[in-house]
Amino acid sequence: MSETATPSKTQTSKRSSLGQELLVPALAVVTGLIIGAIVIVASGANVFDAYGALFTGSFGSPVRLIEGLQVFFSTGETSELLRAIYPFTESLVTATPYIFAGLSVALGFRAGLFNIGAEGQFFIGALCSAFVGYSVKGLPMIIHLPLAILAGALGGAIWGMIPGYLKAKFGAHEVVNTIMMNWIAFRLSDWLLNGPMKASGFRPVTPNVLPTAELPRFFDDPLRFNLGFFLALAVAYLVYWFLFKTTTGFEVRSVGANPDAAKYAGMSIVKNLVLVMALAGGLAGMAGSAQVLGVDHWVGQGFSAGYGFDAIALALLGKSHPFGVVLSALLFGFLRSGATNMQSRAGIPIDIISIIQGLVIVFIAAPAIIRWIYRIRSIKTEETVLTRGWGK
Amino acid sequence: MKKLYFVMAALIVASLVLTACGAGSSTGGDDVIKVGQVTDLGGIDDKSFNASAFAGAEKAVADFGVEAKYLESTQQSDYNKNIQQFVDEDTDLIVTVGFLLGVDTAVAAKANPETYFAIVDYSYPDCFGTAGTDYTEGQTCGSATELPNVLGLTFATDQAGFLAGYAAAASTQTGKVATFGGINIPPVTIFMKGFEAGVKYYNEQNGAEVEVLGWNTAAADGSFTGNFDSLDDGRSFAESFVQEGADIIMPVAGPVGLGSAAYCQETGSCQIIGVDTDWTVSSPEYTDVILTSVMKNINIAVYDSIKAVVDGSFAGGVYLGTIANGGVGLAEVAGASDDLKAQLEAARAALADGSLTVDGVLGQ
Amino acid sequence: MTNVLELRGITKRFPGVIANENVDITLREGKILALLGENGAGKTTLMNILYGLYKPDEGHISVRGKQVEIHGPNDAIAQGIGMVHQHFMLVPVMTVTENVMLGIEPTKNGLFLDKEKVAKRIREISDQYGLEVDPHAYIKDLPVGIQQRVEIIKVLYRQADILILDEPTAVLTPQEVEGLFKIIDTLIKSGKSIIFITHKLKEVLAVADDITVLRLGKVVGSIDPKEATTEILASMMVGRDVSLVVEKQPAKTGEPVLVVENLLVRDERQHVTVRGVSFEVRKGEVLGVAGVQGNGQTELVYALTGLLPLEDGTIRLLGEPIRHTTPREILERGVAHIPEDRQRHGLILSFPIHDNMMLCTYYKNPFAKGISLQEKSIFSNAEELVKQYDVRTPNIYVNAGTLSGGNQQKVIVAREFSRPIELLIASQPTRGLDVGSIEYIHKQIIKKRDEGAGVLVVSSELDEILALSDRIAVMYKGQIMDILDADKASKEQLGLLMAGVQLSDKQKMK
Repeated sequence: MSETATPSKTQTSKRSSLGQELLVPALAVVTGLIIGAIVIVASGANVFDAYGALFTGSFGSPVRLIEGLQVFFSTGETSELLRAIYPFTESLVTATPYIFAGLSVALGFRAGLFNIGAEGQFFIGALCSAFVGYSVKGLPMIIHLPLAILAGALGGAIWGMIPGYLKAKFGAHEVVNTIMMNWIAFRLSDWLLNGPMKASGFRPVTPNVLPTAELPRFFDDPLRFNLGFFLALAVAYLVYWFLFKTTTGFEVRSVGANPDAAKYAGMSIVKNLVLVMALAGGLAGMAGSAQVLGVDHWVGQGFSAGYGFDAIALALLGKSHPFGVVLSALLFGFLRSGATNMQSRAGIPIDIISIIQGLVIVFIAAPAIIRWIYRIRSIKTEETVLTRGWGK
Repeated sequence: MKKLYFVMAALIVASLVLTACGAGSSTGGDDVIKVGQVTDLGGIDDKSFNASAFAGAEKAVADFGVEAKYLESTQQSDYNKNIQQFVDEDTDLIVTVGFLLGVDTAVAAKANPETYFAIVDYSYPDCFGTAGTDYTEGQTCGSATELPNVLGLTFATDQAGFLAGYAAAASTQTGKVATFGGINIPPVTIFMKGFEAGVKYYNEQNGAEVEVLGWNTAAADGSFTGNFDSLDDGRSFAESFVQEGADIIMPVAGPVGLGSAAYCQETGSCQIIGVDTDWTVSSPEYTDVILTSVMKNINIAVYDSIKAVVDGSFAGGVYLGTIANGGVGLAEVAGASDDLKAQLEAARAALADGSLTVDGVLGQ
Repeated sequence: MTNVLELRGITKRFPGVIANENVDITLREGKILALLGENGAGKTTLMNILYGLYKPDEGHISVRGKQVEIHGPNDAIAQGIGMVHQHFMLVPVMTVTENVMLGIEPTKNGLFLDKEKVAKRIREISDQYGLEVDPHAYIKDLPVGIQQRVEIIKVLYRQADILILDEPTAVLTPQEVEGLFKIIDTLIKSGKSIIFITHKLKEVLAVADDITVLRLGKVVGSIDPKEATTEILASMMVGRDVSLVVEKQPAKTGEPVLVVENLLVRDERQHVTVRGVSFEVRKGEVLGVAGVQGNGQTELVYALTGLLPLEDGTIRLLGEPIRHTTPREILERGVAHIPEDRQRHGLILSFPIHDNMMLCTYYKNPFAKGISLQEKSIFSNAEELVKQYDVRTPNIYVNAGTLSGGNQQKVIVAREFSRPIELLIASQPTRGLDVGSIEYIHKQIIKKRDEGAGVLVVSSELDEILALSDRIAVMYKGQIMDILDADKASKEQLGLLMAGVQLSDKQKMK
């Protein structure tokens, strides 16, 4: 058509568009929970028990919290209080690697790249951090801990950079290459855990990292809440600053939104693709670092429950915006963490959480469904380009 | 915008309602004995350790009226969390499955001396050497001392593996049998060692020269996939063993073995010896290629542990499942002649009374 | 004489906008109605209503005096209304016959396609209207002009007698336009009625029997072509007087800015698309590159701006050679580039206007200090340029994609003109724009020339080339056929060159 029907000059002030941005994801989550409830009922369980357990498992029981506070104020005894906040801190602990990994995938999306390799980068990052964490001895924490984190970031960055380079230089599709790099990472870690990095004893796990490389915990066992969470928030802000306030971030977003225009404007596609994949890999690597240095302190074969893959869903839910990613990571963290309690108290398999997560993603990916269900009039917004087609 | 506020308000209200309900239902009766099982990464439906352990718990539910539930671990950081969840619910006996939970179980057991634990395939003490240099308790290993509230459930699978090796040697057409493992650790290689010994014993008894591929006890090395989950690896390992001339394979790598079974079924070129459970029951779709199974009767061990809690006789230490006490055994051998059955029964009896030992056959 | 089609009081509202307001249109039997209007005037909405793609909020449609309801293209076809779209809806790897029968495939014995029957019918139609189309040719092998005839055959095959032609001349050479007008003439003689949508004023005057002008969704008026002039039509369309002739002084040329010798370029698929091209552009002159779309102009511009590597030959910019030079280095040497495809190269539609206004200079003072973007400068720069170049937008924070084509082009012009320029390369600078915008952009280009920049204008619109150029190069199949002085070149000469015909000395004399 030679002309559009109307000059669509929709006056969108920044505030109302933010409301619109949040509305669909929020409704998607609600709808996911509602359909999840139907599934729970269909499986013969009580929805209120299930979601009640999910809630107390992720936020903690208010009753317990009040009791804990009473005990604390009357006797100064903290153990009850710590027990009460345990679920909440566990949720934040679970959210921490999600934030890092989600940022990784979101950054890729911003540059038009589909980083399916976050899981592999996560493993490599964890192994590198663990290695520096247990093998480098005699350093004070102020040096050892940053060094261990840096090692993880660097390991992940190299793992991400390889597919980035293959894409930029030879046009090899990053989806294929990051998946391949995942397999290499999984097999490499199998080998490392059984060979060079194996701790003494027969278990195929790395030695524990030294206390100087551990992310400090704020409470005594069993509370695992640690500095990693705040590190993740800081990194999220850094990614936001990078994307929206720096020239390089501008290039990255340009390359993602319109590579032809980016080239026209004199930006180097090759440089930016490699850079973004390296940074994305570094972020996923830091997810592994935070997990090993803050939570597990050692790496074994079951190190990740698919953080790198969940991160894809999470980046979609967060609309590839760093702050959106933090919010979705918290949501996923709370869902995942609360699921344990739900499984135990209400006998609902953890899989229901995967179903809810899946539903939420479907609704995010197809916002038309949500608009139709809730009769929201569609406002025309450009959808963020997530990834370029094959062979381009 | 209005809609957004509405949604948020609805969420808050809903969560308050849910909390109220959740809080109300969270206290259970204390008079019933509660059993909680924490699985390893295989999950409750692994048709192996976890499933077998929970089968024991369910039998106990039926027999003693205890309450039993399980929590599935999806990653290593769940071990601690799941154990903690059961501690929090005042569970009487926490059953943890697999050596990977060894450290977390010991740490939790020390922190909660009133709670009983049973750990499958592990036992304490597990720290050896000098504290500080060789190990750090609670980190590199669980405990340097025996724990009074933990029962380690271990199994003399070499004895059952021995019978499997004997049956395999008697059944092979090509004169070669094979085994491979997930990773080179004692709970895995003990099967392979028994298997090798059984073949050797058969050769000695019958003047045969059946060869074992994939494991050599003297060298303490063999074939390993490096993981416990890749069905593709199971397939490719089976393929290469068949190419080397083997026609009976014992995969000691959990679900990996199902890949081998699928290969055998498609090509008709080999038979499989199942491990841990009777595979004709747990994976009936492969019955036609299953020669027999080395059974580790974890269900019986778990059932006995719960029984001990019920009758107040629970004590820490080590339970060893053997041929003699029924903790391990060999499933029925497909197509076995009466002669073979008699030979296997004789070997079984000899192992049970100690007149025949695996190490003895291997000359160790 | 009867009215074959009447639209009465058609009103169509979209959220926040009225696309058509109380529109009356009358098509007389056997006549050509030209529907004229700027982009966004509501022509397409109106035609979509007629074709059943939109439902009008008010008003009704009558065909041959009978009021009808049209709920979709099938209803429209049933009423004898057929549409030839500007962008052809043809499957390139299929034959003419297969394309024509798509959607209404006749079968033999209810099972097998009866292609022969269709081919026979196509030949009949082709003969009847002088279309000269081979039913068995593959679409991909046909020139654009013939493809358009296939679209017309599709409509005629479905027995339409009211034809809507949407911007039919946009993609044609002057000779092909002549051919189209002949076909239109034959169609009218055999009793068809035609609605001809365009924004080209001269064509309207050449073919129309009636002219209706739309502006901002309303009918401004109808006029008899005999009484109309291009000036009258233009002012009706735009709502004010516009000058269609670009006022310009004779060029004061200086040093060569750009010297191209024996240039050889391959496109992204490695086909040689520019072969042995040589020319120069001097300070203060406009060199126009004419030619039918797809004869190497695109790749020529890409090579000059660093978007494609040169295979052979030399390019010298201000005396310095360009080879393996990145787009950025070329930009930094003072080259401004208005790209042919503004949505592909020129803008990032999902970015706000203020970011597009600094797309090529974001890394420089005052937009960046170190790696930190300076939002204040970015915003004030955009505010200033929006004002200076009269970009119609609610504010600088909306995405470029929400602007109309003309305003998008103004954003690009504003950005490119806001830095020092030695050479301006403008590729199809006014494609798809309305008269008002064209006038504006032409003036800006001449202004840059007069400031002493060398200008290279590539356009497939001959009128535009003639209006702007001091010298005109014509490209055909990757080569420059000839370079003529603009004041001595005629449309006929250029048309022949565009079709690949070398001019004899006699023709040059004209």
